[in-house]
Amino acid sequence: MNDGGGESRRNIDECKSERGGEQEEDEFGRAVTRVSVAQICESAGYHTFQRSALEALADIALRYLRDLGRSARFHANLAGRTACNVFDVIQALEDLGSSQGFAGASDVNHPLAASGALKDIIRYTNIAEEIPFARAVPRFPIPKTRKPTPSFLQLGETPPHKHIPSWLPAFPDPHTYIHTPVWNERGSDPRTEKLEQARQRRKAEKSLVSLQQRLACNGATMASMDGELKGKRPLDGNNPFLAPPLLSGEKEASLVPMPAGLSLKSPDENIEKKPGGLSVVNAFAPANEAAKGGGLIDEARQLKPKRPVVQFKFGLDKRTVNPAPLLFGNRYNRTGGNATDMSWFSRDEEKDDKKKRAEQILKEAMENPQELVQL
Amino acid sequence: MNSADPKHDDEAALIEFLSSLMDYTPTIPDELAEHYLGKSGFQCPDIRVFDCRTRLVALATQKFIAEIANDALQLCKARQSAVVKDKRDKLQKDKRLILTNDDLSKALREYGVNMKRQEYFAESPSTGMESAARDD
Repeated sequence: MNDGGGESRRNIDECKSERGGEQEEDEFGRAVTRVSVAQICESAGYHTFQRSALEALADIALRYLRDLGRSARFHANLAGRTACNVFDVIQALEDLGSSQGFAGASDVNHPLAASGALKDIIRYTNIAEEIPFARAVPRFPIPKTRKPTPSFLQLGETPPHKHIPSWLPAFPDPHTYIHTPVWNERGSDPRTEKLEQARQRRKAEKSLVSLQQRLACNGATMASMDGELKGKRPLDGNNPFLAPPLLSGEKEASLVPMPAGLSLKSPDENIEKKPGGLSVVNAFAPANEAAKGGGLIDEARQLKPKRPVVQFKFGLDKRTVNPAPLLFGNRYNRTGGNATDMSWFSRDEEKDDKKKRAEQILKEAMENPQELVQL
Repeated sequence: MNSADPKHDDEAALIEFLSSLMDYTPTIPDELAEHYLGKSGFQCPDIRVFDCRTRLVALATQKFIAEIANDALQLCKARQSAVVKDKRDKLQKDKRLILTNDDLSKALREYGVNMKRQEYFAESPSTGMESAARDD
């Protein structure tokens, strides 16, 4: 079915809402009219129709129906009656059909039973085939049964005053009509409020920044990771040595590895008990500690108290071999820095030796690809 | 006496028609007609029986719509036969008769209903307004 009339339908809906809820209540009636009009069109010979055309035609049918009723009522009222007659209906038909014309319209005094409009209808009845409506339509609109307000007697209350009999409906509850203003009992100190607001804002900013850094760190390592490492947990594979090299200034310089500092600063003893894995407490320890006083929380979260063993995997394809990131760890460790982290730096020197050895092996591999031995 | 006979005939015909109407089910259902007639003040009897007045009104509406549909159908067929002169293939494809807004508005003009249709549709209400804002 061609739905080219979608836009116009939307306009019709807007008009409906402008007119208020009156059109919305009619939805059922309109839907039924649409179906019946469609059936009439089908009997006339149409196969399909545009939706907007059908809606327009249904609207016209409804208006015609209502106009007939209004006209018939008018004629009945004119004759001094309230109930409509067949003749009122015939007169209404003549009224509405006068624009098309029917036989005998000019004859003012003709008897209604011989009305041309009626004859047209009789002719139509004889010609057209009878098409009953497709489905059973319930009687509508269904009246809503309202629950009456219970009386004083039913509620078991006594009316407040003597002059009110108990069989009358009860008064509404006082909270429905009495409004007591609620005051804020807390004393408001503008200075402390401002301090509190600033503190919360700072906290939010810190957590956002750390989250961003964490995401960036994860993203940087994941991009250069080997396919084999993908199966592992991202935290295990979060090896800064395998990340692509960073130019100076690309990453924030405040990236200071302080696992020793973490154990020093944090009063939480759980960290020293569990040096190995990354527990939830470890992850949130910096946040806890920052919440208490404020400090560098970002970088500590990215590093674990114990560095995982660096594993180098060499293959024939060159994309896994990237000597540059080997230097990453150096810069990573050297920027910032704390004099107290001596243990960290000693471990760092071991890594340097390893890296030098790895570089040598790489060079050999580059020169002699055929004599390469898988490590 | 002569004048009374045709009257009598007419009335007899009317009575017969009205009684036959009870057997004829118009396409517009009775409940629908009753609802909308009730809205316009057409008094229905208290006994909820579908009487011939409601049926008559429903039938009249049906006739009205059928006439409009027929006129629109004539227009549609006329247009198809005018177009088809190029290829015979089109006749096969265009056997589907579609009730379009154009045909409907032309047919309704004779009945005094002025139906206007949008020439083209924009994508959204603000199409074209954005470019004006950008110029500023």
